[in-house]
Amino acid sequence: MMLVEIVNPYYLQVGSFILINIILGLSIYVTLSSGQLSLGNAGFMGIGAYTSALLTLNFDVPIIVGVIAGAVVAGLFGILVGIPSLRLQGVYLAIATLGFGEVIRVFFVNWESVTKGAVGISGIPHIGREIFMVLKDAGFDPAIIGLKNNQFVFLTVFFVLLLINILLVWFIFRQQNSRIGRAFAAIKMDEKAAESMGINITYYKVLAFVQGALISGFAGALFAHVMSYISPADFSYHRAVEILIFAVFGGSEVIVGAIFGATFLTLMPEMLRFISEYRYMIYGLILLLMMAFRPQGLIDVQVLHWFQKLRLPKRRAEHGSKNQKHL
Amino acid sequence: MRKLFKKPFLSISILMLVLLSACSGKSSETTGEGTSSKEGDVINAKIGVISYITGPGAAYGEAITNGFKLAQKEINDKGEVNINLVIEDSAGKQEEALSAAQKLMSDDSIVALLGPTLSTEMNVVGPEAELNGIPIMGTSTTAEGIPQIGEYVFRNSLPEALAIPTSIKKAVEKNSVKKVAILYGNDDVFTKSGFDTMKKVAEDMGLEIVTIETFQKGQSDYNAQLTKIKGLEPDLILCSALYNEGAVIMDQARKMGVDVPFVGGNGFNSPQVIEIAGKAADGLIVATPWFGDKENPKVQAFNEKYEAEYKMKPDQFAAQAYDALYIMAEALKNAGEADRDKLKEALLEIKDLEGILGKFSFDKDGDVVMDPTVLIIKDGKFKVFE
Amino acid sequence: MLLEQLINGITLGSIYAIVALGFTLVFGVLGIINMAHGEIFMFGAFIGVIITSTLGLPLWIAFLAAIIVTGILGYMLERVALRPLRGKQGVSHLAPLISTIGASILLENLSHHLFGAGNHPFRNAFAEISFQIGSITIYLVQILIFVISVILMIVLSYWLLKTKAGKALRATAENIETASILGVNTKRIIILTVVIASAMGGIAGILVGMAFNSVNPQMGLSMGLKGLAIIILGGMGNVRGAMAGGLILGLSETLIVAYGDSGYRDAVAFITIIVILLLRPQGLFGQKTTAAGR
Repeated sequence: MMLVEIVNPYYLQVGSFILINIILGLSIYVTLSSGQLSLGNAGFMGIGAYTSALLTLNFDVPIIVGVIAGAVVAGLFGILVGIPSLRLQGVYLAIATLGFGEVIRVFFVNWESVTKGAVGISGIPHIGREIFMVLKDAGFDPAIIGLKNNQFVFLTVFFVLLLINILLVWFIFRQQNSRIGRAFAAIKMDEKAAESMGINITYYKVLAFVQGALISGFAGALFAHVMSYISPADFSYHRAVEILIFAVFGGSEVIVGAIFGATFLTLMPEMLRFISEYRYMIYGLILLLMMAFRPQGLIDVQVLHWFQKLRLPKRRAEHGSKNQKHL
Repeated sequence: MRKLFKKPFLSISILMLVLLSACSGKSSETTGEGTSSKEGDVINAKIGVISYITGPGAAYGEAITNGFKLAQKEINDKGEVNINLVIEDSAGKQEEALSAAQKLMSDDSIVALLGPTLSTEMNVVGPEAELNGIPIMGTSTTAEGIPQIGEYVFRNSLPEALAIPTSIKKAVEKNSVKKVAILYGNDDVFTKSGFDTMKKVAEDMGLEIVTIETFQKGQSDYNAQLTKIKGLEPDLILCSALYNEGAVIMDQARKMGVDVPFVGGNGFNSPQVIEIAGKAADGLIVATPWFGDKENPKVQAFNEKYEAEYKMKPDQFAAQAYDALYIMAEALKNAGEADRDKLKEALLEIKDLEGILGKFSFDKDGDVVMDPTVLIIKDGKFKVFE
Repeated sequence: MLLEQLINGITLGSIYAIVALGFTLVFGVLGIINMAHGEIFMFGAFIGVIITSTLGLPLWIAFLAAIIVTGILGYMLERVALRPLRGKQGVSHLAPLISTIGASILLENLSHHLFGAGNHPFRNAFAEISFQIGSITIYLVQILIFVISVILMIVLSYWLLKTKAGKALRATAENIETASILGVNTKRIIILTVVIASAMGGIAGILVGMAFNSVNPQMGLSMGLKGLAIIILGGMGNVRGAMAGGLILGLSETLIVAYGDSGYRDAVAFITIIVILLLRPQGLFGQKTTAAGR
């Protein structure tokens, strides 16, 4: 059967990383959409990953509960950091969150009795393998649909992540066009004006920040159950910068931007070997050039409209403002 | 509702399509020729290599792949086995190592994997190789528990658990040591697991540990830790560091007037220590599977060929990689054909294979059985410690 | 032993202070956190290694070369990462932060390719000169570092307060448009600021190379983050605050190793960042008016 040949674990593996990175890109996108920059998302990701890994390993909690707990704990930390950080704006918030992310990492390194320090936690239950086991116990054999065991495992992971991605994108998209989304946009454009219009900026800023933390934690927990192994080095400053690049490169004003950034930048080193060697130099250049020439990222509202016009010539654009403050 | 749903969904599906069609574009380096089939008496085999070729640890990956390529040339010239290497980069990252492994494993003509370079990478790749039933052999993974991942996971690199006790015992014996201080990098898997072994050995031997100090990556000032250690007057310092940091630590220690010997792990064992620290490197004791100055024709021949080819002296990473490919070739010869399961069985049977590292065998887990040599740096040179 | 640790702490703290001076100068004038400062510092250290160890030239040439090279890097940074963003409609205040992060990543990985990933020794006869007081060995370099940091601080304060260029610089820091109207060539002042700050980073780089005999591409990031913590501690844009902050961080890092747990050494700086920003955003020595929201 053809399916055996199409379902290549390598493609699925790369696909799964792309999907996780999309979630990370979305996590920084949400925070940015209210005009705040968080460099602590790697830290929140780590909190989610460690929480879920430790719960599933030590207390035999099902993966789904672990992942949700990971996201919630990261979200709680988000509140903890977010509320006092409200006094800080712009650059200062970015620096404070950067400090937070590093403190979290140092903490993971030193809290050896629980996190095993730099050695990391291995043998974390794998989403695909666990689902496979459950189905197998129920009498299901992947051979029925013409797949090998490991193909089935990776296909499961891929589809689980794809489903999560679709739900998440849908949620953020809905939110963006709701009262909350408009409040975020207003705060981003001019905080004082937003406040004078009666928007509770404290509430909305913390909300955006916590959502970012929650989503990063969620991505971290999924990461742990896809890699089966995590160590503090996975959640360092470099990861935070990588997450930032997803949004900066693809576009920080529209959801599709972050999705595109994460996809493209995950695929790039896989596709082109000679790029892999210069990957971080290219990342640096991307940040520099994007800020100089296109601070809103590759894809912005105009580009989307252009696409829409191509497909639906008659339909009118619904929203978008010319005077937007980029990034 | 449907309209809202449509746009992101569409873009995702387009992106996924792009992804699936684009993945196949990744080029990989292939050396040597031939396919994995049997022609006459020659066994043709394709072996995948995952190595740390780009990034901060690229020097390790370079030495390792050099070792492989040198051995490949010699083996193929002999004509009994024809090996074809497919080399993939992991950049020292688990995700990329795993992607590279998936790519190699899904090619059915590849019979075995060599690498990845780091133990962290092996922790991720090993279980996948086990699941797919492909033999994988680490040539530089020295952390605890690697071959125990599964039946298909092997290594020919001397684990810390074997190297460190040997060197500590010898150092303690010769210098009648009672008090030791331990210094290690706590944010690196390699140095952390080396420390765990050091601590255990020191405790088992009944030595008094006066203090345990740590340092972190990117640090260049070790004076605070060393001053503290100096004040406690240990007879010996156990230092779990990579050679880059270790050499600087020794330099700062000697400048401060700390002149007791150091015992280091596998990562500390490199001629580079002498390059960086100069005279300050004197007194470093390490246990090693690889000793370049050994009076052994095989070792000397390897040194010459390696230097002629790559214009530098081989280190243990190159040597271990070189021997690893010979082990693979021997196992392939014994297996009689390029088959993953038969190769696994043949690897387990390897016994007392004479390589440049000495006599080599696997134990039942696929771990190393061999006697390391204990070396000390004296007058700017590695010498056998006696 | 305490005395030795204090010397260690002051040496480390003085280096931190010089790095932070560069940070604080750029922030004071442009209101920008230059995340690439650590990497410029690292380049200075590598220039020192190349001049003294590889080429075997005397130390003063190394200082000169490092100042020139890092100065040029600073100029390029201003041209590429900062100027295109200035005065552009609709660019948020986050843009310079992100573009300097980009520059820092670029420089770090560039040095990987240029110099290799390993540690480079800094061989210099001057670095070997030492004298003994009791059981304590003091190196001349350690004293030199402290002296240079104090001199730099004094010169910088004097220059800012008393000279014409310094006044123009402060006017620019106050308000770019007004300064420009009053006849200050703000473009030149801004370039001057970034170049001087970078050159100070270069000096710090060589001093680190001499003191610790270790130069590698990763040192920029850790030093950059420490410098960041220091200017937050000392008050953004505050010269004396940077000096004091540097010494405080250097001493507290050393003392936490001596009397606490060395594993938490790096956490000191980051916890400082968080605590100071949340409790006293203007820094220990800053005035309340320099509000934390720019």
